[in-house]
Amino acid sequence: MAFRNLLLGAVFAFATPALAAAAAPGGDAAPAGKSLTGATANLAPNDSAGQWTRQARDYANTRFSPLAQINKKNVARLRIAWTFSDGQMYGHEGAPLVVGDTMFVVTPYPNIAYALDLAKPGAPIKWVYQPNPDPRAIGEACCDKVLRGWAYADGKLIYNLLDDHTVAVDAQTGKEVWRVLLDDVSKGPTMTQAAFVVGGKVYVGSSGGELGTNGWFQALDVKDGHTIWKAFTNGPDDGALIGADFKPFYPWMKGKDLGVSTWPGEAWKQGASAPWGWVSYDPDLNEIYYGTSNPGPRVPSQRPGLNLWSSAVFARDADSGQAKWAYQFTPHDEWDYDGVNENVLIDIPWNGAHRKVMVHFNRNGFAYTIDRSNGEVLVAKPFGLQNWAKEVDLKTGMPVVNDAAHPVVEKKVENICPPDIGVKNWNPSAFSPRTGLLYAGVFNSCMDLTNHIVQYIPGATYDGMEMQRHAGPGGNWGEFIAWDPVQGKRVWSIKENLYVWSGAVVTGSDLVFYGTMDGWFRAVDARSGKVLWSQKLGSGITAAPMTFLGPDKRQYVAVYAGVGGGAGVIRREKGFMPGGNTLYVFSVDGSGIGTGNSQLISQAGAAAPVSVPPAAAHN
Amino acid sequence: MRKLVLLFLLAATPALGQVVADTPNPMAGNADAVEAGHALFGKMNCAGCHGYDLTGGMGPDLTDASWLYGGKPGEIFHTIAEGTPRGMPAWNDRLTPDQIWQLVSYIESKKAN
Repeated sequence: MAFRNLLLGAVFAFATPALAAAAAPGGDAAPAGKSLTGATANLAPNDSAGQWTRQARDYANTRFSPLAQINKKNVARLRIAWTFSDGQMYGHEGAPLVVGDTMFVVTPYPNIAYALDLAKPGAPIKWVYQPNPDPRAIGEACCDKVLRGWAYADGKLIYNLLDDHTVAVDAQTGKEVWRVLLDDVSKGPTMTQAAFVVGGKVYVGSSGGELGTNGWFQALDVKDGHTIWKAFTNGPDDGALIGADFKPFYPWMKGKDLGVSTWPGEAWKQGASAPWGWVSYDPDLNEIYYGTSNPGPRVPSQRPGLNLWSSAVFARDADSGQAKWAYQFTPHDEWDYDGVNENVLIDIPWNGAHRKVMVHFNRNGFAYTIDRSNGEVLVAKPFGLQNWAKEVDLKTGMPVVNDAAHPVVEKKVENICPPDIGVKNWNPSAFSPRTGLLYAGVFNSCMDLTNHIVQYIPGATYDGMEMQRHAGPGGNWGEFIAWDPVQGKRVWSIKENLYVWSGAVVTGSDLVFYGTMDGWFRAVDARSGKVLWSQKLGSGITAAPMTFLGPDKRQYVAVYAGVGGGAGVIRREKGFMPGGNTLYVFSVDGSGIGTGNSQLISQAGAAAPVSVPPAAAHN
Repeated sequence: MRKLVLLFLLAATPALGQVVADTPNPMAGNADAVEAGHALFGKMNCAGCHGYDLTGGMGPDLTDASWLYGGKPGEIFHTIAEGTPRGMPAWNDRLTPDQIWQLVSYIESKKAN
């Protein structure tokens, strides 16, 4: 079969549900309040509705907020309440946290933290913390000098620095409480991951999939930052914390020291597999879940074998770190399809029973619904344009690879879909227990790929992929989709000109918010996909939005506009905006403490009267 | 005669300490040097940061008019040899001055006009 036909076949395979959705534009797909799939989620730790104390709001990584003051009737009245520019020009990716009356934001390199006082007009700065990371990290971070998020716990703001430190800062004063060094940046590893906290542990992972690093994940003590446990991704079982508890579902992932034997020689030592993405936690199973990056180098002919545990997901005991199961999404990854994207923990009806699952939109273009108690893949369907695999065989858990998609050294292979950056990257999806759907920004693109043999040089890239990326059928680079995790199909989609590389948030009023790379911030009806409001911002949006209640009990929505990160791969496309660093905070009519209609009477430091009572904003 | 040739070569390829910003590229206009530089650009993983087309990515674009550490041949030579505080590795322990000039030649051949 010609490769072109393969491509068309792949398009058709996933296009059908989108066409069906397009047949009923704008109409509500179901009565308000009815779940379309029966899927639910445990929203522990069940923070009060107005707070947003961790990147994905809950341990399950749903990014669902129960707030409903901003609703379908008043969302079109959203206006800017206030903004905050942090002055740093690398890509902005994280979501602000709101704890009590304070908002916390952290910039990309040089990773400056700000506490903003939400109780005062215009949210002035309470304190600034400047960690002064080592500038050598700039040259070692592959995909812009970003930070994907920060954590709050035990009265501290905790986050990673690009130069391989994790720091904790007193949330009241901004004074450093502890700082620990976790790797040697001069050899290639950096830290861009969003620290994740459960109880007394901070979970952090390394970055450096393109630098021949030896990826690791560890749990630090919230009190002083000391390492409680550390698990390398690859290498011998003892270093990977793989022991008697480890029970992968599929036989090909069972055996001793597979993190060594599935690589040639000692290639695993530069095999990357860095856990730079999201972490989620199931309080009932007391397990954490996180994914691993591509194997190094990106040229597959240099590392024959499965290359375990690259491009995979791990379930581990949260206290001991011992692995419970793993699943490799892309065995012997030939295309840079990291497995680090978020694992959203939900519960679904399945053949008359309920299953505790995770939903994972992989770079490789398949959306997986996996039983999180044992690693069994229940659903694996394309959620966008891909042609590298015919399907994922659910009996074996193995993808069936198209012969025409294999890269060749020093020969251009055309039209492999998706390219390295995937059908979706780290940009986190959202899940609503009200609609039972997931919402995700996705990519529609392919690559012409030429591989080059590379040698390992510490501190330099260990890469070898030369690519020309191009938009897929339709000419649009991106889409925003709603996904049924039980059926494994799209419910609706919105085409966008450029990659949709922002996160998403979904609310108790069935509104979904996301941003585009050409600077539009949108509110969408979570059931129908109808766009209800759009606001053009000062830069492209590659950050995760969030929503919170201010001290005035008013609902706000916040998002950074500061395009960057991996999105830079299409920086020369028409419509791609210059970088930025502004946090935009929206409310109905732009009202807030001392702002909105009363802004002319507000003074620095003086609390002006609230112009529009929150009760009025409900309508 | 042999000594003379060696002297000539040394004069043509000044060592690191002798290279200043205005030192001309001794291999300027030499097609073989450009091709050798091209090969090194791939072999030493330069392309991983600066792109196989030199237009940047993880590291800066080398084809535009913007040079963080100077765009004269001698300045490019120094940047390659000694690295930068912002994470560009130093290459003087892995590359000879000749090889660095070959890389300079290749980079100069790709400059946009």
